[in-house]
Amino acid sequence: MSEKKLETYYGLPSEVKFCKRCTMSNQRPSCVVEFKHKPEDKKPTIFFDEEEVCSACRFSDIKETKIDWVQREKELGELCNKHRSKDGSYDCIIPGSGGKDSAYVSHLLKYKYGMNPLTVTWSPHKYTAIGWQNFQRWIHAGFDNILTTPNGKLHRLLTCLAFENLCHPFQPFIIGQKMTAPRYSALYGIPLIIYGESPVEYGNSIEEADRPTMFPSFYTEKPDLDSLYLGGVSARELIEQHGVSRNDLNPYLPVDGERLQKIGTEVHFISYYQKWDPQENYYYASEHSGFQSNTERTEGSYSKYSSIDDEIDPFHYYTTLIKFGIGRATYDSAQEVRNGKITREEGVALVRRYDGEFPSRFFENMLEYMGISEEKFWDVINRSRSPHLWEKSYGSWALRHQIT
Amino acid sequence: MLKKRIIARIDVKNEFVIKGIHLEGLRKVGDPHELAVRYYEGGIDEIIFMDAVASLYGRNNLFHIIEQACRDVFVPITVGGGIRSLTDIEKALKSGADKVALNTQAVKTPQLVSDAARIFGSQCIVSSIEAKRAGNSWEAYIDNGREHTGIDAIQWARQLQELGAGELLITSVDREGTKSGFDNDLLSRVCDQIIVPVIASGGAGVHTHVVTMFDSSQSDAVALASLLHYNLTTVKVLKADLAENGVPVRL
Amino acid sequence: MTMPSIAIIDYGLGNVRSIANALETVGARSLLTRDQSVILAADGVVLPGVGAFRQGMENLRRYDLCDTLHRLKAVGKSLIGICLGMQMLLETSEEYGVHEGLGIIAGEVVRMPVTAKLPHVGWNEIAEPASGVWRDTIFYNVKEASSLYFVHTFAAVPTDAAQILTITEYGGHVFASSLQSGNFYGCQFHPEKSGEIGLKMLKNFVEML
Repeated sequence: MSEKKLETYYGLPSEVKFCKRCTMSNQRPSCVVEFKHKPEDKKPTIFFDEEEVCSACRFSDIKETKIDWVQREKELGELCNKHRSKDGSYDCIIPGSGGKDSAYVSHLLKYKYGMNPLTVTWSPHKYTAIGWQNFQRWIHAGFDNILTTPNGKLHRLLTCLAFENLCHPFQPFIIGQKMTAPRYSALYGIPLIIYGESPVEYGNSIEEADRPTMFPSFYTEKPDLDSLYLGGVSARELIEQHGVSRNDLNPYLPVDGERLQKIGTEVHFISYYQKWDPQENYYYASEHSGFQSNTERTEGSYSKYSSIDDEIDPFHYYTTLIKFGIGRATYDSAQEVRNGKITREEGVALVRRYDGEFPSRFFENMLEYMGISEEKFWDVINRSRSPHLWEKSYGSWALRHQIT
Repeated sequence: MLKKRIIARIDVKNEFVIKGIHLEGLRKVGDPHELAVRYYEGGIDEIIFMDAVASLYGRNNLFHIIEQACRDVFVPITVGGGIRSLTDIEKALKSGADKVALNTQAVKTPQLVSDAARIFGSQCIVSSIEAKRAGNSWEAYIDNGREHTGIDAIQWARQLQELGAGELLITSVDREGTKSGFDNDLLSRVCDQIIVPVIASGGAGVHTHVVTMFDSSQSDAVALASLLHYNLTTVKVLKADLAENGVPVRL
Repeated sequence: MTMPSIAIIDYGLGNVRSIANALETVGARSLLTRDQSVILAADGVVLPGVGAFRQGMENLRRYDLCDTLHRLKAVGKSLIGICLGMQMLLETSEEYGVHEGLGIIAGEVVRMPVTAKLPHVGWNEIAEPASGVWRDTIFYNVKEASSLYFVHTFAAVPTDAAQILTITEYGGHVFASSLQSGNFYGCQFHPEKSGEIGLKMLKNFVEML
């Protein structure tokens, strides 16, 4: 039997491996700078050591054994003391959606550390009913909020382009989300921005675990229309060929680094200062800000409380399944295994049961939003399947490698 | 006169007792045997052990816990979660359980309920319904509140009685784990329509919730989890308070 | 002094594991058996039972245990019949048609009136039918109005009221919750599932052997 070497897309590792401790596979891409994302880019992926344990699991060991959380909490106190306003002005910006994580972070900073946060929200593509309700409950739990909703026409265009060129419909949301807080920091001159968890929690750049802040390169740049990409297309091409104006592009473009430097903008992660545990955030948010889980589990996973506010969100995970073989149940379970909520055995059973589930609930809405036909949708999906991950047998697609 | 029963509901996963909110976000709260004995010594009337991952694995894993519990706990024990066949029921009863609770499989094959009632007796069969409010009525959920069925919960309760269920365990998915009180509308509606005993579950946060529930519905028993597992009260203190408020309980 | 040995009659019905555990807790050895000679040789006997009357009687007949039970009565062996085990001691039952029981105790088993929910499930109180009835029985040190665990739809009505050992009220109706005929006790409730009170009664049974 001839062994034909299978083509691998996206520069992913050709051999598929699963972490021995959690449910993550080695195909998981690391965080990238989204506004530089071109279709032909090779993706850096999560690191697996010689024992086939992923860097996220190794980091969770560090969390358990090597970090002095008492000291870190002290540092948070000092950070807050340094920035706390004395005249009633906002002293920090907390980006969020009213989900369990931002509900936790904002409540902690305001009611435990006495800060005066301005919460800022980058609107989901399409709010779900539960998403809107939780957003409202969050505000009514006692927070000032600015909701930024981008130009709908452009947002839909970018979503469609991102889907067609990158099989990444969620990109416009992700980009805008990253830009929102720095944008308001620049606008209002508020230097301190506080996020929830650092990408280190998911195994990215574990060597940066000692750093409380995000690298400015993720959110700042001298705006240059040729090197900035949205939807896999350069900003210049968007203007010249897609009828988009330079003005329209503003919310998606990184803020000028010099401007932020003058203000002294810093983006901190709460996960540096406190042991990050999403399930504990759920409990905290349920008790303090009225956060409610959904009535049904999210398609593609078993969870009812994780990331439930955008109708497009399930398609984000469906496309990660297509491109990397990793669906939502894998993301959810990997984190829960690391935090000791479920065993790997249970995680594997959950992944096998739910990961491949197609998110049919909002499919029609999604097609309408992007303005494409179902046929076109499947065209894009099928040509995005990396041959080293997928095979077609008896007319249907199946992953070559399933976790065991 | 017949007393109202106070039942401890112990959800188990991987040898730990777990508790969540809305059947979600499950936290470990203790050891099943230890809690069962503690509640028994405190005067609990019955114990329900539920296997929280049985549906996922396709098997109930609690039989060894039941065997052990039977040695030290001399009140009725019910076991549920992933009970799919007559063989499962037989195994459960042989391990020492007095009753089994059926939910997911009963919805998929209602025949199981009638067969089980015929072979093992109705008194062994507790039909469990997870109900979530839907408009003017409630919808039945399965798989530990993960999947909805499109079936009206009240109608389903009637059907289960006809099939031969000896008792109904009614859990409110909306209230479960929230400690905000029972869904008394749901319970009254069920009790109005059926004559087999009803066990109310889901929502107790303080003693008054339990008193109000017994006052406003004809439920015969209450299954408590958060209230007991998080040490918000003890069985003794709760029963004393209930008695003082006119609820007939075994002291 | 050796531990008393109790034969638990094995005819395929009843929560025998719980009974065995309870007996062990109160200081007796137990053996699950349907062997007549073993049963007759034991210090005491338990006739368990959960389920339908007809099925119970069929099983007793199938395993040739009817004769054994009559023999036990004749030789004055101590026995406690629990739930269905008690009901089968009577002459007839009307559960799913009229069926013949062992006829060791005169009387019949009838459906409880539907003035309340059925089956009768849960903890209910026992009372002494008349003063002094409990003296020298397994209830001698049990407090009046103690609660025990019931789960049944049918109840025994003995012909001789003097054989009624405890009475219980349910749905406005009083019924015999336990009986005694010589060395044979019958309990409608489940002493092995009735907490400390139930264990106390079983202990009394064992100690009085």
